[in-house]
Amino acid sequence: MGWKDDEKVRAAVWEKSLARLQATALDAVLLGVTLLMVEFLVQAFSGRRGPTGLLLSAEQILDLLHYAWAAVGGLVLALLWNLFYRQVGSSLGRAWVRGVPEWEAPLEWTQTLRGWFTAVFIELTFFSGWLITELDLFTFLTKFGKAADIVRGLMHPSGAVLHEGLILLVQTIFLAFMATAFAIPIAFVLAFPSARNLTRNTLTARIAYTVARTFMNFVRAVEPLVWALIFISWVGIGPFAGVLALWVHSVAALTKLYSEQIESIDTGPMEAIAATGASALQVLRYGVVPQVIPPFLSFTIYRWDINVRMSTIIGFVGGGGIGYILKPRVDLGEWGEVGTLVLLIAGTVWLMDVISAKIRERIV
Amino acid sequence: MTVETAIRVENLGMVYPGGVRALEGVSLEVHAGEFLAVLGLSGSGKSTLLRCINRLIDPTEGRVWILGEEITGARGARLRGMRRQAAMIFQQFNLVKRHTVLTNVLSGALGRSPLLSSLLLSFPAEERQRAVAALDRVGLADRSTSRADALSGGQQQRVAIARALMQEPRLILADEPVASLDPALRHSVMRHIEALNRDEGMTVMCSLHDIDLVTRYATRMVALRDGRLVWEGVPAEFDKSTFKEIYGEDAQPASNTGF
Repeated sequence: MGWKDDEKVRAAVWEKSLARLQATALDAVLLGVTLLMVEFLVQAFSGRRGPTGLLLSAEQILDLLHYAWAAVGGLVLALLWNLFYRQVGSSLGRAWVRGVPEWEAPLEWTQTLRGWFTAVFIELTFFSGWLITELDLFTFLTKFGKAADIVRGLMHPSGAVLHEGLILLVQTIFLAFMATAFAIPIAFVLAFPSARNLTRNTLTARIAYTVARTFMNFVRAVEPLVWALIFISWVGIGPFAGVLALWVHSVAALTKLYSEQIESIDTGPMEAIAATGASALQVLRYGVVPQVIPPFLSFTIYRWDINVRMSTIIGFVGGGGIGYILKPRVDLGEWGEVGTLVLLIAGTVWLMDVISAKIRERIV
Repeated sequence: MTVETAIRVENLGMVYPGGVRALEGVSLEVHAGEFLAVLGLSGSGKSTLLRCINRLIDPTEGRVWILGEEITGARGARLRGMRRQAAMIFQQFNLVKRHTVLTNVLSGALGRSPLLSSLLLSFPAEERQRAVAALDRVGLADRSTSRADALSGGQQQRVAIARALMQEPRLILADEPVASLDPALRHSVMRHIEALNRDEGMTVMCSLHDIDLVTRYATRMVALRDGRLVWEGVPAEFDKSTFKEIYGEDAQPASNTGF
């Protein structure tokens, strides 16, 4: 007895209130979103017209929703539900955080408020999603005519750009290859501090984890297209800018894939190597690296494959490769020539997919 | 404390981050040269106890001495130096599956190997000879170039024993070394551990749950139940009432255990 038990009681109380807070917060978000979706649907079906006399567009309706009121309303409803959960049954948030209580466990979803709420929430999401993205089945089915031109062009590829296309295709493949190859060593080094299971023990390791993860997520969040624009103004239009853009993005993407692989290794060999008195680097070399090399290779080949596809889009904005000559043809509506280039790209992607599948099969 | 004490554990306690208490107030001594068996149901804290001794797990309470030197609180090179004195053998063998058998045995020498060349998987010629000799001891010299995962379970555990031998330790910590093996192969592995104890004078601390093996190989035994030390004695003193004490009232000794 004594202070240790007091401490335990306090910890338990703290844990309980934290769980209650999490449950209420989750409910507040769900209920708030529900209120917003209901308001959106009411507005959409009310037939209100804008200043131009036309029906309001989805963006205009989204703009005039009462977000602050929905937040307050969601919070109030969430508080009420979590306060009276014994009378009306656990809320979704409560069930998520604390589990479904025993006295509710045998009930079907139709017998609980939580079940009905979930069903309504899913329905509402689909209805408002349909309207927010302005899905229009009628137009889709009746106005194919214009697009038929393009499809016809694609089906009748013109030989005029075949020669130029093939040359730039070679450049595209090498562009993707260089970007991938230069990304490997950096991603390999960054992957270790980015793996949670290797960075739990010391403060330095935890700081390294946070820094590596933040860096990686930031770089990954920026689209390769944006990187391309940055590097084009840095080194000028051409394949070098494309290599740099794909390189930066590949470093982040490979680091993430590699580190996830490290997180899923068998810790047994690490323990065994550590028990011999080996140092941290030796534990990594013997206990971790042999386990992750085959999946690393497989991810890397997959990344090369992705980079070939991405370099087309990068080429659109001036990053070299086949995309560079594709863009003007699209703009001019030279659909036959576009068709040739698209076929070249599709063939390459297909071929790389087959080859990379074969290689991966062999290594793993 | 005299040199006759190979391992000393004092008031050891371990609470895992999730709040699970695995060990509580465990104190014991392992005498130099003995074969100490650790008994207990699964979940009684045997693995945690063994891992707290070489600090693969950091205990939350208590202290541990290895060969007269305190390992709890040791860091860096000092901790690694002490780990070298205590080789570990695992239930799941824990070999590096994609490395050859020989490289796995050589990894036992990592603690005394130069860092850079060891990172390139390169070892001095005399270490390689030692590794071949260690493999020969466990009867696997002809498999040195096979990949570790090409071997059967019993063979893999013998490679792990060769790795322990390569470490040239004074203690062996073995965590259920034969629990994943076919019963017919258990003695072939246990005999090699016994040889380390008898011929090399290494002190062995080995968790086992098969009473037959305990009485056959151990010179002394301790038992854990719910993380506490509940019994200490020699195999000859072990009887039905001890069995109940360790395994609980509901437990039945297997029919072939002789109780």
